[in-house]
Amino acid sequence: MKNIVIEPWLIDETTYEFFVPDYIIQLAEEVLKNYDLSVQNMQIVTTKSDKGGAIWKLETKSGPKSLKLLHRRPTRSLFSLGAQEYLAEVRKARVPPIVKTKDGKNYVEAGGKLWFVAEWIEPLTPVAKNLEGAKQLCYALGEFHRLSKGYVPPEQAEMASRLHKWPKNYEKMITKMDWFRNIAKWYAEMPASPPLLEVVDQFEEQARKGMERFRQSSYFEFVKQGTASWGLAHQDYGWSNGQMGANGIWIIDLDGVAFDLPIRDLRKLISGTMADLYKWDATWVREMILAYHEANPITPELYELLMIDLAMPNEFYKNIKEIVYEPEIFLNEQTAQLIQTIVETDQSKWPVLSEIENDWKGVE
Amino acid sequence: MVCTEKLPVPPLLGGAIQTYISGILPHVSQFHDVTVLGITDLSLPAQETINGVHYVRVPGKVFEIYRENVVRYVETNKFDLIHIFNRPRLVLPVRQAAPYAKITLSMHNDMFQPEKIDPEEAAAAIAEVSHIVTVSDYVGNVIRSLYPQASPKLRTIYSGVDSKQFLPGNHPKMQKIRNDIRRAHGLENKTVILFAGRLSRNKGVDKLVLALPELAKKFKDLALVIVGSSWFSENNITDYVAYVRALAKRMPVPVVTTGFVAPNEIQNWFAAADLFVCTSQWQEPLARVHYEAMAAGLPIVTTARGGNPEVIFANENGLIVENPENPSDFADKIAQILSDQSLMRGMGEKGRQLAVSMYNWERVASELLEVWEQAEKIKQAAVSEDQAADITIEPLKEDATEQLKPPTPKTNKEKVRSIKNSSASKTSDKTNAELKDNQRTTNREEDIAQQPEIQKNDLPPKQEQTNGHSKPFMITGNQQARNTTGEMYLNRKQTEEKKRAKYFTIASHTNPHR
Repeated sequence: MKNIVIEPWLIDETTYEFFVPDYIIQLAEEVLKNYDLSVQNMQIVTTKSDKGGAIWKLETKSGPKSLKLLHRRPTRSLFSLGAQEYLAEVRKARVPPIVKTKDGKNYVEAGGKLWFVAEWIEPLTPVAKNLEGAKQLCYALGEFHRLSKGYVPPEQAEMASRLHKWPKNYEKMITKMDWFRNIAKWYAEMPASPPLLEVVDQFEEQARKGMERFRQSSYFEFVKQGTASWGLAHQDYGWSNGQMGANGIWIIDLDGVAFDLPIRDLRKLISGTMADLYKWDATWVREMILAYHEANPITPELYELLMIDLAMPNEFYKNIKEIVYEPEIFLNEQTAQLIQTIVETDQSKWPVLSEIENDWKGVE
Repeated sequence: MVCTEKLPVPPLLGGAIQTYISGILPHVSQFHDVTVLGITDLSLPAQETINGVHYVRVPGKVFEIYRENVVRYVETNKFDLIHIFNRPRLVLPVRQAAPYAKITLSMHNDMFQPEKIDPEEAAAAIAEVSHIVTVSDYVGNVIRSLYPQASPKLRTIYSGVDSKQFLPGNHPKMQKIRNDIRRAHGLENKTVILFAGRLSRNKGVDKLVLALPELAKKFKDLALVIVGSSWFSENNITDYVAYVRALAKRMPVPVVTTGFVAPNEIQNWFAAADLFVCTSQWQEPLARVHYEAMAAGLPIVTTARGGNPEVIFANENGLIVENPENPSDFADKIAQILSDQSLMRGMGEKGRQLAVSMYNWERVASELLEVWEQAEKIKQAAVSEDQAADITIEPLKEDATEQLKPPTPKTNKEKVRSIKNSSASKTSDKTNAELKDNQRTTNREEDIAQQPEIQKNDLPPKQEQTNGHSKPFMITGNQQARNTTGEMYLNRKQTEEKKRAKYFTIASHTNPHR
């Protein structure tokens, strides 16, 4: 088993949901030998076959646990594991504590990947899909960010930071608007191509304007304050990775955490939630920001950057970027409909953003 | 020589830096005892000695891990000079591990940018190295603009190509290969445009794909070949590759994609092509493919980005696209070449000529050897201040070594030495302390004496770079290469002799710190 290297695996109609190749299951059993656990039952609960990751739920004599095969490079995973340990043990944050191996380590290396066991938090239920729930999520996110400050990654870990990548991300968004346009042009006969061609210019313009505002923003000052000073962003926070437990909201799935400006998570949560509502709502946005602010204060400069980030064509970009993979399938009726919805939702965004734009003026 | 943490040497998996190292090793190892410190690879032993070069391979891939291993190795082994490739962040750790070694650095891209290296560390690293060689003026100018104090240490040494590996398609060795490839991929009777490089936004092959419809209106029987990895693999298809693939499917011109081609087979695709296009959108340091295309006798269309235009002489070996974000600009330049058969042929021949006479590994190696030699000299000066007693007998030792050497043609180097000797003899009856002073003076004199020699003999000479490309200068350099190929070869021979002489000098100075 020594020289096995875990690779992504294919799933098709012949494989069942959550299929995992046998060699990985065998590795999982080997991995568990490193733990002082008596496992009664082991059940796969999710997979990332295209990347080579998986999660099992373990029933043990000492209660339910999770076993995770992390798909990222081991040195990258070390960064996230260190963060989870820091948050749970040092800061007592509500993130699942890591269960140590027999020799006191956070993880086991097998198949060229890191594996680890953590507490399975029960009960966990999604928060209510209303403003109250949204505010709870925001408050918990602010707490998470605040507590993550002070994290020093283990020496062997890669430095995971997205702090410097904001300009590149925006540039990429602008570049890809041109990709969307070109593909729609060359696949003109597809149902979603004409509506896409009709709106892509306006979204590109939004991105360009956003980029201009961004260049004038305090971002470049923020960056100078240093990578670690901002703490970690979760990078995948939402209605499923923040859930209500017995004594508050728990934040799970920390594998992607990286140093970043914390408002990235908040922006994603807000714009995603507005998309779910099919309409931007000033009250929701304001209340969500305030709930966050209560746990992790936002300065006027940071608020300005949040406004800029909210003004970017995030939802259009997020939903259309799949176009490059199989345009003959993607550009169907359904996507034509989706574009319609995105454009309508986007129209309600601008009055809301201008309404709340000056909320932070003169604060502090 | 300390490689980067990314790819192994020899370049089994390609890589510009790895190719560069392998290209110069046969030459530099004739004059020095060279250890190449790089990363492990499953198919390579952790240590081996091939043709006198020691290879030491340590775990890498991730910079932090590699750095630790490099430090450990350098700490436990002694070197006179340590040449670091493209990792300014290795300079200070290496300096700590080897306090007395000379350190030289070569830069292949913008690793001195503030997001790559903390400005304080960068400045300290620059202070520690005696020279920084760069693969283009562009790379040097970026460093200079960030850290003006690096200026006197910078020198451009253009890279090279093995022009026995890369041959024109009409070369006897290549004719069959060219025909086979073209037959196998439906390219017979086609004019084949070649792109070779990573499939990424920065490298910009999408712009070339989008130029095809316009070209198809003007020319019949065109085809585009894209040589680059990550095309086929189902897992891990980047959005960019997917985008280019989606476009290519709809083009009126066949687009052949090869996927990953092993570095030792890539020349076959160059031989099968008729025109080479480099589409860099970013400030490219200077892509190796230009040299390969020249060696393969292909006319080149490249972009006015980074160092790329530094090796293009308009209308002689290729054309430059000024606005590479615009596909029509590519279409224009390509059309200009394709519509003039004699221009096209002439450009290919000129490219081949340049590759052979100028962009060869021997020239790269001899320029690097020269840099090392200068670095060593700085060390001698430093030592002479500290350890006068040892130094006073040095000229004698050197002379003794010289007498053991088989006779060599008289070189400029020897002229310099005779000046040095005469100045030493004048002071032969003085005290040690006075001698020390004179030694320092003669060292300085030697430096001064050598400068015109360097400028006379070596191509391209040390450059005074201005902002932007030092194009006017480069053209001069090339004209010299163009008109006096034979003479240049002779010069190179002389340089080699000079190196040989120097080799003994260095040998006599082993462990001057003892």
